[in-house]
Amino acid sequence: MSAILNKLAPEADLADDRYGDIRRRAHQRLMQYGFPDLKTEAWKYTSLRVLEKRELSAGGASEADRPGPLPFEADVIAMANGLIDPDALNLPAGVRLEPLSPADLINLDYGDRAGAMAWLNLARFEQAWRLVIEAPLARPLVLAMSTSEDFAAGVHPRLQIELSEGADAVLIEQQTDRGAGLVNIVEDVALARGARLRHVIQRRNADSVWVQRTRVAVSADADYRCHALDLGGRLVRQDLSVHLLEAGANGEIDGVAFIDSKQHVDWHTAIDHEVGHTNSRESFRILADGTGVGVFNGRIHIQRGADDSHSDLNTANLLLSENARINTKPELEIYAEEVTASHGATIGQLEDSALFYLRTRGLPVEQAMALLKYGFAAAPLENAEPAALRDWLTSELQTVL
Amino acid sequence: MLKIKNLHVAIGGEEIIKGLDLDVGAGELHAIMGPNGSGKSTLGYALAGREGYEVTSGSMEFEGQDLTELEPEERAAAGLFLAFQYPVEIPGVNNAYFLRSALNAQRKARGEEEVDSMTFLKTVRESLKGLKMDEALLKRAVNEGFSGGEKKRNEIVQMAVLQPKLAVLDETDSGLDIDALKLVAEGINAQRNAQRSFVVITHYQRLLDYLAPDHVHVLSDGRIVESGGEELAERLEAEGYSFLEAASEA
Ligand SMILES: Nc1ncnc2c1ncn2[C@@H]1O[C@H](COP(=O)(O)OP(=O)(O)O)[C@@H](O)[C@H]1O
Ligand SMILES: [Mg+2]
Repeated sequence: MSAILNKLAPEADLADDRYGDIRRRAHQRLMQYGFPDLKTEAWKYTSLRVLEKRELSAGGASEADRPGPLPFEADVIAMANGLIDPDALNLPAGVRLEPLSPADLINLDYGDRAGAMAWLNLARFEQAWRLVIEAPLARPLVLAMSTSEDFAAGVHPRLQIELSEGADAVLIEQQTDRGAGLVNIVEDVALARGARLRHVIQRRNADSVWVQRTRVAVSADADYRCHALDLGGRLVRQDLSVHLLEAGANGEIDGVAFIDSKQHVDWHTAIDHEVGHTNSRESFRILADGTGVGVFNGRIHIQRGADDSHSDLNTANLLLSENARINTKPELEIYAEEVTASHGATIGQLEDSALFYLRTRGLPVEQAMALLKYGFAAAPLENAEPAALRDWLTSELQTVL
Repeated sequence: MLKIKNLHVAIGGEEIIKGLDLDVGAGELHAIMGPNGSGKSTLGYALAGREGYEVTSGSMEFEGQDLTELEPEERAAAGLFLAFQYPVEIPGVNNAYFLRSALNAQRKARGEEEVDSMTFLKTVRESLKGLKMDEALLKRAVNEGFSGGEKKRNEIVQMAVLQPKLAVLDETDSGLDIDALKLVAEGINAQRNAQRSFVVITHYQRLLDYLAPDHVHVLSDGRIVESGGEELAERLEAEGYSFLEAASEA
């Protein structure tokens, strides 16, 4: 058993609550498969070994500060240091939050060691919630996930988000980490027939290791759109897979990651066309500055028989310093017919000619560079709706440029 | 206004401008003509301060200041403007936002108040109208997807908004049809006054017909080989640059 497993998953303190059987099974799988290392394809560029050196405490942090207020009206569910206080909730009509039952968690499968963090979550989650959105929401619902400065624990939040038929929502995950622990989130999102979700992941992290696995299932004529603005952290790993399960399902991902010195951000996205007449689009941009490291792996999978499907994946990357690194890989796997699919990937630097042009108009170097970076990064955010959401995301982006 | 003395400019160690003299007074319009590759754009870039364009000897003074000591943005704030032969596309950067930021950056550098957006928009709209350009271009990214002619006219719009003391226009007329050429000439003439000076780089006499330059210079192989009045432009138009060879042999 590796040092990391010893540290993260000592069997002795596995909770023996009503989920006990589920936890023990997950723990067994974890022990059986082990932890991913750099030889594990999906973890080739991202090492979790930093966890070996961390003394993760058993909870006990002070209450986390709420993330900054949003410039528009919203309903907020606060998750502080990994925990939601159900007594502090004030949910709008059409939204329910309830604990998952053990029956919801049987037969889950996270595969081999590439899924170790999800097995770890299943063995050790503190809370497991079902968030149900049953109707069109008048204003955005915010899941404000924050950690406090003295946060040094390992937490494993688990969420199942369900949109009923006819539901239409903007869900904003506003993630603000100020601590130095481990946040290991497993999130399952399901859109029933015809439901619409605009899913915003806005992240600004400090030193915590932040691992998030988000799986989205999209039913007939449902529309899922992710708008991600990842402003980095010590170590971020985001897996986002979107499964288009029935005809008419639409899945879109628009993402921007800005990664600065001593930060490492790894996005693994997958869009899976499981049946025909499904559409997807993805646009992802990474900017890496200082000693920042960015990883992007974007997989589009059009399964056999998923005919008449359309997909477009576009990723562009900007290296802002000599010591920054970006590894990017679009993967297109097509086994169906009558399909249109395209992809492109570029890695570039700020263009001298553009910088010079802006300077000849009077913009000082710093301002000219910020404008060019913004011009590069803002494109995927342009698709965010409503306008207030887009403006908020672009202004958040501007604060780091 | 602008005093260039025995200027030598090298790119990557290769000398391109080889001893150039030019004296532009306030309110004057000078035309520089010359064959492809003679160093016209190199002169423009050297004046604007492009990296890699090394002034190896000689001097460039703008209102008594040594230009080589100023960064490109400082030159702009001092009142120097270069209209690019090939305006650069800046994806994702809104044209109006860019232009207002540029204007305010210049004003800030000069210790002046920023302009409010109403005043700014009024100025831009007027010059867009004068150049028969669609206002929708303001909402687009800088030069992105603009036609060749729109890019050139956009340079003139920028000039009109930034109100430089000296504008160097590098082949702003090339690639324009005759109607667009007239509009550009009008745009330039509208900005002329007793203080503002122009260096107009061009291949063709036809723009000069509208501008009535005070002086015409012929640049060849990095040097000014002929200077004169409007009649020089006419002669170039009639005879082509071939007479230069005769001149250099003589
Ligand atoms: N970036 C560069 N690197 C090397 N040589 C250059 C560069 N730019 C221009 N030159 C050379 O300098 C000479 C003058 O070019 P240019 O100033 O563009 O001429 P013009 O504008 O008169 O057509 C040409 O021989 C050209 O090849
Ligand atoms: Mg030229």
